[in-house]
Amino acid sequence: MWATGRRVLLAHSKLAAHAKQIQSPGKQVYATAAAIKPETVRRAQFVLNRPVKPDSVHRDLSPSTEHGGSHFWNFQDELLGLAEERQGDPVYKSSSLNMDVLYRSGETSQGILTYCPRLLSIGYKAEPREKNIFLQSLCEEETENLTSNVADQGSSHPQRQITDKERIECLENGVQYWTDFSKVQFHPRSLYELHGSWTDVEKFDNYGIGEEILSAGFQSEEMNERLRFFIEECDHIQGIQFIVDDSGGFSAIAAGFLEEIADEYSNTPVLLYSARSPASYKLGKSPKESVSRALHDAVSFSRLSSCCKLMVPVGLPSLSRSKFSSTLFVEDQKLFHSSAIYAASIHSISIPFRMESHGVNAESLYVSGAMDVGGMVQMLAGQARQNMITILDLAMPAQFLNDSNNQSTILRSLCSLTPEIEENNDDLHSIESLIVHGAFSGGRRASISEVEKYIHTEYQNELPRPMLYHLTAASCPLPIPLPFPSIFNNRVGRLGELSTAQLAGAERRGSLEVESVPMAARLRSSSAIKPIIERRLGSLRRYGLQRGALGVELLRSWGFGKEEVEDMGEALEKMMMLLDPNAYAASSDFDSD
Amino acid sequence: MSLRVLNPNAEVLNKSAALHMNINAAKGLQDVLKTNLGPKGTIKMLVGGAGDIKLTKDGNTLLKEMQIQNPTAIMIARTAVAQDDTSGDGTTSTVLFIGELMKQSERYIDEGMHPRVLVDGFEIAKRATIEFLEKFKTPVVMGETPDKEILKMVARTTLRTKLYEALADQLTDIVVNAVLCIRKPDEPIDLFMVEIMHMRHKFDVDTRLVEGLVLDHGSRHPDMKRRAENCYILTCNVSLEYEKSEVNAGFFYSNAEQREKMVAAERRQVDERVKKIIELKQKVCSGNESNFVVINQKGIDPPSLDLLARAGIIALRRAKRRNMERLILACGGEAVNSVDSLTPDCLGWAGLVYEHVLGEEKYTFVENVKNPHSCTILIKGPNDHTIAQIKDAVRDGLRSVKNTLEDEAVILGAGAFEVAARQHLINNVKKTVQGRAQLGVEAFADALMVIPKTLAENSGLDTQDAIISLTNEHDRGNVVGLNHHTGEPIDPQMEGIFDNYSVKRQIINSGPVIASQLLLVDEVIRAGRNMRKPT
Repeated sequence: MWATGRRVLLAHSKLAAHAKQIQSPGKQVYATAAAIKPETVRRAQFVLNRPVKPDSVHRDLSPSTEHGGSHFWNFQDELLGLAEERQGDPVYKSSSLNMDVLYRSGETSQGILTYCPRLLSIGYKAEPREKNIFLQSLCEEETENLTSNVADQGSSHPQRQITDKERIECLENGVQYWTDFSKVQFHPRSLYELHGSWTDVEKFDNYGIGEEILSAGFQSEEMNERLRFFIEECDHIQGIQFIVDDSGGFSAIAAGFLEEIADEYSNTPVLLYSARSPASYKLGKSPKESVSRALHDAVSFSRLSSCCKLMVPVGLPSLSRSKFSSTLFVEDQKLFHSSAIYAASIHSISIPFRMESHGVNAESLYVSGAMDVGGMVQMLAGQARQNMITILDLAMPAQFLNDSNNQSTILRSLCSLTPEIEENNDDLHSIESLIVHGAFSGGRRASISEVEKYIHTEYQNELPRPMLYHLTAASCPLPIPLPFPSIFNNRVGRLGELSTAQLAGAERRGSLEVESVPMAARLRSSSAIKPIIERRLGSLRRYGLQRGALGVELLRSWGFGKEEVEDMGEALEKMMMLLDPNAYAASSDFDSD
Repeated sequence: MSLRVLNPNAEVLNKSAALHMNINAAKGLQDVLKTNLGPKGTIKMLVGGAGDIKLTKDGNTLLKEMQIQNPTAIMIARTAVAQDDTSGDGTTSTVLFIGELMKQSERYIDEGMHPRVLVDGFEIAKRATIEFLEKFKTPVVMGETPDKEILKMVARTTLRTKLYEALADQLTDIVVNAVLCIRKPDEPIDLFMVEIMHMRHKFDVDTRLVEGLVLDHGSRHPDMKRRAENCYILTCNVSLEYEKSEVNAGFFYSNAEQREKMVAAERRQVDERVKKIIELKQKVCSGNESNFVVINQKGIDPPSLDLLARAGIIALRRAKRRNMERLILACGGEAVNSVDSLTPDCLGWAGLVYEHVLGEEKYTFVENVKNPHSCTILIKGPNDHTIAQIKDAVRDGLRSVKNTLEDEAVILGAGAFEVAARQHLINNVKKTVQGRAQLGVEAFADALMVIPKTLAENSGLDTQDAIISLTNEHDRGNVVGLNHHTGEPIDPQMEGIFDNYSVKRQIINSGPVIASQLLLVDEVIRAGRNMRKPT
């Protein structure tokens, strides 16, 4: 089974960490980089006088999202580390990405400066476990660094017995909790544990049980307090990125929390990813369970979508049998694998939020197409159609820009991570936001203007063409940190370039073989999303609204009376109507029944 | 068995096994909590899955933290926790009382008595005890100025059972003053108006009452004063940050110049709002020594902070919603939702506002206010578990003072009520009851004695000696409680030991109900794992 929780001790024990890196052959492991640089301090004070400081707060609700979150922050950490490295690839140094958007500078009570993610992660308690080799080496590194600061810097490190290969293997086989592979230093307020009276984690699988936790009251107040702590620090909050695993009780907790956020920070856009692991599709075998699952999906979809500005459902029933299998080896039962892909896509989508903003027309060598969270929400959900459920497409790694064979283009190589969508949809009103970063053209990294020119041409040739699209390009690729699963197949090269021939070496390539990958990700507001809403509306009608429906009792035990269920149904109908005005007639027939 | 036909998978316990399971569970839970009762009770150390430590002797906390699996124990625990929710104290006593009722019943049931008869006896005894409680209580008149002494005695009784004596006595004054501060005539007391803040700093004896508020954030501008006296306080819920209005986001301009203009126009609106606040400041502060503090529930962005700082105003952003209400009660004035109608009447006043920094945590104290109706108990302690312990105790202390004010009555403590009620039941009530239900009354009466017995036991005294001397002294016509130092009978009134009337009443009411239900169980059917789930 996947994720049963997280260890707390460990996250805390890493708190006093300094900026540190170990030089081990081949690959560097960075734990909290960029912590104690004088510039960081100056920047922190400077913030107050800067006209607009975009900040965004990141929210996580476990369990599969905790894995995703852990990967996400590992990427950020890797970026910070690579930017600091002296002989590193200049593409990271001059990435023009502002990490302050996601991170906060602080100081511990001992006066040590810290640089932590602006993150609130909510999970449940789990039993403490032994540290694995990866975490042990992180800790050793820490103590070593502390001592080596005193001792001669140049002296050689003691012989390292554990190789990176072993570390990676131990992660491949042994990851159970998100802390098993996290190398990031978190603020103590970032991690919040739920206390509940449910007896085991497997039972925490439906909307009702999450609702119960919230109704206890004091926990939601504490969660709000912690969020307020991070928001109070923001000079100008851009938005809140919220990731929730909506396959279990956490969706109720998320919905309650989102409601309070909408109430308290009404003008702050919330971008919600509702992610689920392939494993979660296997739940619910008996008829009773399948009714419960269907209603859970419907209720959580309706409740979650009602209190955010843009919702992105993520999570295919199987990644290994999807189009991604042409470049990636994903084991569906491993959350460690699937969450890595989700995290990579979320990383790419968040690239435009943290570009150094130079106004609309300002040119930059490294980035173009900056947009803030509000802008993206407005563009995708604010147009005539007002559809706020969007599709996430991903190409990992992205194609060469001018493939000599010219067979697959970036646009065509994008595959959806959102389940249950129409495949060949020719919606003329779709709106797209495409992010391409680190792309290659021939044998070298493409310049921003090349990317722009190429993508615009692609869109010209594409049929049907979307009504509106926005392109964000950045030169900085996705760095692959050491604790990244070995999921690339042997067509993926060291810098993520795709070759037609198979490369020599291991069949599965991980962080030792692949340093970085170019990425393309797209958010698409299109009527192709219809089936996902339709199915949820269908199950709500069948099990909750029809006379003598099977699930009425269950819904009532989750705290939803007849009227609430009707309201939810209406909200879903309205969504359908916005996407397809013709369908409205059919649904109003149903109402008169 | 008939049920086997209905569901062959069900796990069934038959009559006597079911009863004994219930009785044993009740006794087990009683044994766990017993040692924590009273001022001499011992403490329990709870170690969480991640190694986090909690030290407590608070029954409520214990029941919540222990992951109880037994269904009977869960039922009892829920009753006890409900007891805490309604009256704020008496969790341990409830558990002990239920356990003892079950234990006493076991004796009779083993002799072949039908549980129904016992339950009837419980019902009679319960009614009689409640009547007796009405007679026994000491009425206290709570007029405009309540008797502070009696409140202190009640608070002290509660606090001393949770904390060591010196600290308990210090907190007694704090909680009594806190409740009296927020009390308004003819209105129910809202304990949320007492803010409980904690700082990991110094020692537990540095815990104090702040007449005013402590906010857990500070100003965000380097030029703002860190300390100011004679402050006007503006409590507002106005956005002072530049927010892209939805219509203008993104796509409605064609060139940079147009965009700049739009941004400038929106920026100007924010600046206007800030200027109105500055105007008000100038109006009230010109020509005198006073200062001006803005506490805003919404955000304030750096340009606005800059403007405010230049005008000599201290500004805090993103205040807790509940604190907005508290600020008004503490400092006066009113919460402002728009800057259009600002008048000096909107302003509150505080004698002193200052910032305290601990690492990266900042605290802002708003003190020396006039006629406060909200205050803050600032808990200090060297570590988290001390703070948690004090916090729990303070909550209970506040509740006990509130209960006293609302009940307008108190009950003599130290086991005095239990001893008196037992004698009343045995000597007067039992005789009026017909038939075997008498035994139920007797069991109930004996069960009441669990409180003084446990008090004696926890103080290291001989239980029998203590109980005999208590009953003897009582039969001489005196109201007696147990002196837990010597084991001698004392007069609780002289010693100032008082319990809450509503807490006692609740215990007497809820204990027998749950015990009766458990006794009447004749079969336990477990159809699946779900039945163990405490939902």
